[in-house]
Amino acid sequence: MASQIDRCFITRGLQRCSTSRFLLWIAPWTAMLIFGLYCAGLCLLKGLNQTNMDNRYAFGLWIFLDLTVIALGAGAFFTGFLLYILKFKELKAVINSAVVIGLVCYSGAMGVLMVDVGQPLRAWFTFWYPNVHSMLTEVTFCISCYLTVLAIEYLPIVLKNRKLREVPGFLVFEFELHKLIFVLAGVGTFLSFFHQGSLGGLYGVLRGRPFAFREGIFVWPSTFFLFILSAAAVGPSFIILTTSLVEAITKKRLVKQRAFDLLARISGLLLSVYVLAKALDTLIWINRTSPGRGFLASQYYDWKPFGTWILFTEIVLCGLVPALILLAPRLRAHRVWMVSAAALACSGVALNRFVQTVQTLALPTLSFDKFLSYTPSWQETGTFLAVTAYGVLVYSFSFRYFQIFPEERELKAAQVIEPEVEEPVSAGRY
Amino acid sequence: MFPWNYGFHWGAGSYIFLGAFYTVLVVVVTTLIGALLRARRDLRGNASESIRWHNDFHDLPAADRVCRHVLTGEFKQRECPHAFDCRQCQTHAQLTEHRPAAYSDAVEADIFGMSFPVDRFYHRGHTWAHPETDGTVTIGLDDLGARLLGAPDEVILPEPGTQLRANGPAFRVRRREADVRILSPVDGEVVERGDITHAYVLRVKPLPGQVDMRHLLSGAEVKPWLVREMERLQLALTMEGASSPSLADGGVPVRDIASAYPQTDWDAVCGEMFLEP
Amino acid sequence: MSTETSKKAAGRYGMTIDIDRCNGCGSCMVACAVENNVPPAESGATDRTGITWIRVFQIDNGGRGAEKRSAFIPMLCQHCGDAPCVSVCPQQAIDVNPVTGIVEQMPERCLGCRYCMVACPYHARYFNWWDPAWPAGMEKTLNPDVAPRMRGVVEKCNFCHGRWHAAKQAGTSDSLSAYVPACAEACPTRAIRFGNLDAPAADVALGSQDPDSFRLLESIDTDPKIYYRSKKKWVREAANAPRPGKETPRG
Repeated sequence: MASQIDRCFITRGLQRCSTSRFLLWIAPWTAMLIFGLYCAGLCLLKGLNQTNMDNRYAFGLWIFLDLTVIALGAGAFFTGFLLYILKFKELKAVINSAVVIGLVCYSGAMGVLMVDVGQPLRAWFTFWYPNVHSMLTEVTFCISCYLTVLAIEYLPIVLKNRKLREVPGFLVFEFELHKLIFVLAGVGTFLSFFHQGSLGGLYGVLRGRPFAFREGIFVWPSTFFLFILSAAAVGPSFIILTTSLVEAITKKRLVKQRAFDLLARISGLLLSVYVLAKALDTLIWINRTSPGRGFLASQYYDWKPFGTWILFTEIVLCGLVPALILLAPRLRAHRVWMVSAAALACSGVALNRFVQTVQTLALPTLSFDKFLSYTPSWQETGTFLAVTAYGVLVYSFSFRYFQIFPEERELKAAQVIEPEVEEPVSAGRY
Repeated sequence: MFPWNYGFHWGAGSYIFLGAFYTVLVVVVTTLIGALLRARRDLRGNASESIRWHNDFHDLPAADRVCRHVLTGEFKQRECPHAFDCRQCQTHAQLTEHRPAAYSDAVEADIFGMSFPVDRFYHRGHTWAHPETDGTVTIGLDDLGARLLGAPDEVILPEPGTQLRANGPAFRVRRREADVRILSPVDGEVVERGDITHAYVLRVKPLPGQVDMRHLLSGAEVKPWLVREMERLQLALTMEGASSPSLADGGVPVRDIASAYPQTDWDAVCGEMFLEP
Repeated sequence: MSTETSKKAAGRYGMTIDIDRCNGCGSCMVACAVENNVPPAESGATDRTGITWIRVFQIDNGGRGAEKRSAFIPMLCQHCGDAPCVSVCPQQAIDVNPVTGIVEQMPERCLGCRYCMVACPYHARYFNWWDPAWPAGMEKTLNPDVAPRMRGVVEKCNFCHGRWHAAKQAGTSDSLSAYVPACAEACPTRAIRFGNLDAPAADVALGSQDPDSFRLLESIDTDPKIYYRSKKKWVREAANAPRPGKETPRG
């Protein structure tokens, strides 16, 4: 009975697992979510002493993961830009998935930020008394606006649900909203450009932290542009990663190879540009910026465990290598190579965000200071597990009840006709 | 945020920053309100059904959206640009103008063992329209459609007085797990309800003016269309897990196809055949 | 860059701290906590989560046995002329007072985002990780002229702002009123001296021009107002080195 009602909500023609199996899938994630909410509740009620952050490690696990998650969620704006503004039609296959992921990433980050600040009820102060010179103000404004835009972009996906579109009001509203989606895509691109950049600017402007400080153009340090580039480069990679994961879990083909191919090419291209820019920036920083502030760059890497291997890993292993793999047509045509390269690229960006948040704070500034270490407490880890669980749950519900992958039916037909034939890689637009 | 807040400084930075923020806010709110207002206008103008068909049409796979003139071999490949509303199509008007009169003689009433009378006009959603002598038009399910639904569990017909639009929903049928809306072939107002097992399902009074059947299939178009429909049905059955290909070319579908495939997702098969994705 | 920090104040309150005189007794730390209603540390607090607006650090010359020498450096907010913390606060809760040069903080507006703590290279800012709580009876020691801060906000030395207010109200001249913050008052060796850096005859003004005076992290151009002084070369080198045991890259 319940499964019959459940079936009514699932898009026609798509095969989804039985209701009981679905409940089995969401049960552990729900448990994780509840545990995580309990951890967050502890932090809100008892105070931030529940974390292992302290006066030297004012930013910890949460800020690092927030930055990473926002960089990974950049796929939403970038795919929207490529599809609705630059008209890369192949990406219609992944735009819905990208929007859901973006929504999950940004709303999760916002949730964690509300727990991270000492006085969450004062969050409106940033809007009421904004300091236009502060990068964090910029971030707050842009992320709030962009989350609104993402929520509005998510509406058509929800309203196209089989049962919901029976309501004439929802049907026509979805139709009219979809006609104007390019406006939202444009606004989203504008906002994302600025907040991805400002997240980089957060660290680049720190005159008091020579490890993080960078010179730049006008008020924007080089990290502003590097963060935008890396986010745009890794957004498509994260989409490749998540789509492959969903295909593996659901054992279905969801997206045509040409979409993967395009995403891989774009990611590879932008990654290469990023690696070049980052290498240049690092050289300038080592030879000019840091010594100009009175600190030799080599000394930063004397503090174990943060040796120069970190630079090498970030730029070469997790930057240049995946860029080359994704740019090689013969390699990216194979799922294993493509997914590995995407995973490396995402790890590279995570490492970059880690270096900016955690390594900056670990390194001493005063000569009589010490190198300090920090391990997150279980409450901090739990709060972030809540975000992960929330993400999986929202995505699972969206996948089950909404049509996240428009090419799914076509691929189902193709598999039936010729199950053994691999799709040829198309020549593409360029 | 506002100039009268304590600590507000008028500077280039504030102008640019707050200017950008307010612009973004205005654009987003305007878009949302614009969509809402247009939606309200659409609802008031009863455009929801045509919007629904427009959405459904574009959600159909590309292979299902082929122009009727591809069926008759006049085009090799062409997608219908008008969502099967041939009344608006210039190309269709030009092609039918030049069609020879003798074309309509050599047509069969019996195709693949199914009955497709020549005096009816067929909609691609498997309904037919027949202009009656009293000026009304009768509507029914064609033979393939009837065999697909077999003995339905429920048929929900519109009340007399309901306005129907071509390519809009006419009535609903339920059979096993299938719950489909059947498309109306013509514009008109329902004057009489029939039954799915009888001669006609609905009788409608067409809108004033000529009874326009240009957008419906007739004559020599019907057979090539049905060839394709049988292929589509075959594909739909296989896609939904029917274990063996049992409708070989030339085979006659049974009276109640659903009963021959008890394990198959009949909702998906009907959705495919009755053009409701 | 905040426009506020580039304005020149009428005078500037500053300090000189004579490292050679400091014996590490910690009276300044206690006096500061008492004056400013700093709550006692909660159980579970560590030296990294406790609040110490002024904090005495120990440096050593690296020698062993009889060769070993130590010195003590009291660290507090340097009240930088070009403060890195001012431009980063999203709520404009921090300001450099144009009259006094004191870097002021509004705890009522602080969101607790801790960005200023990340920005400060002197680690002079402290966060209220717990709700402030005084054991029963200890509330009688609270200073009625200073507001306590709530959980979740940042606080730091403000050159005993309450005392400045009192002095300003009592004073008559246009120039900066003379007053003494708690740490300078409590220091038994008078290592800490406070006054107007721009008044030519003032102790601090003379001290700041002493050739043995230096400021911490000069190379990052924060323009701090605390001048440290030591005649001992090893102290000057140790305090200014970019990291313990290394030479400075510039003179």
